[in-house]
Amino acid sequence: MAYESRMVKAEMIEAMEFQDLAVQFGVSGVPHTVINAGAGEIVGAAPENRLVMEIQQALKI
Amino acid sequence: MDKFLGADVEKQVREIFADLKEPVAVVFFGSKIQHCEYCKEIHQLLSEVVALSANLSLEAYDLEEDAAVAARFRVDKAPSFVLAARNGDLVEDTGVIFSGIPAQYEFTSLIQGLLMVSQRDSGLNPATRQFLAGLTEPVHLQVFITPT
Repeated sequence: MAYESRMVKAEMIEAMEFQDLAVQFGVSGVPHTVINAGAGEIVGAAPENRLVMEIQQALKI
Repeated sequence: MDKFLGADVEKQVREIFADLKEPVAVVFFGSKIQHCEYCKEIHQLLSEVVALSANLSLEAYDLEEDAAVAARFRVDKAPSFVLAARNGDLVEDTGVIFSGIPAQYEFTSLIQGLLMVSQRDSGLNPATRQFLAGLTEPVHLQVFITPT
């Protein structure tokens, strides 16, 4: 998604190494996807369509 | 330091890298002033990976000393690295960033990410591409993963 749009930044974050961030976003299992610092999230696998829906909800568009 | 990649893994990765098309620059950010537990290890692992294809290269920067470069690639933590598209002398930001060591399953994600950027194709379906092309505000995705 980041590759398709300059608006998107996609970070794959190793949760053990960046524990403070993981704690901040309430990550207890992986994968866990956080959208715009908590405006949206997906716990578990994030299929393409689901991720688009969650981004739309997070941006309220 | 011993090598991370065994001969069998290198052989497998070389076979996958036969599908690389365009150059990719892996842009690594370490940090001298931060406690960077795995910086050396990640840099070495990336060196070993880019050595497996002439289409791949590695650039290394320091998050604080090279703050302008980090800002250009939207990187704010170390260790991190960006899978950037190299077009001639231009190294273009993709927003595809890994933070932390890409071991186990994440190693697969790294290899797949390199393929995607090298083929200059996200592989997403047309509707998703259309949605992304129409975005007018920033979207920051943080995907938390662990090596195991």
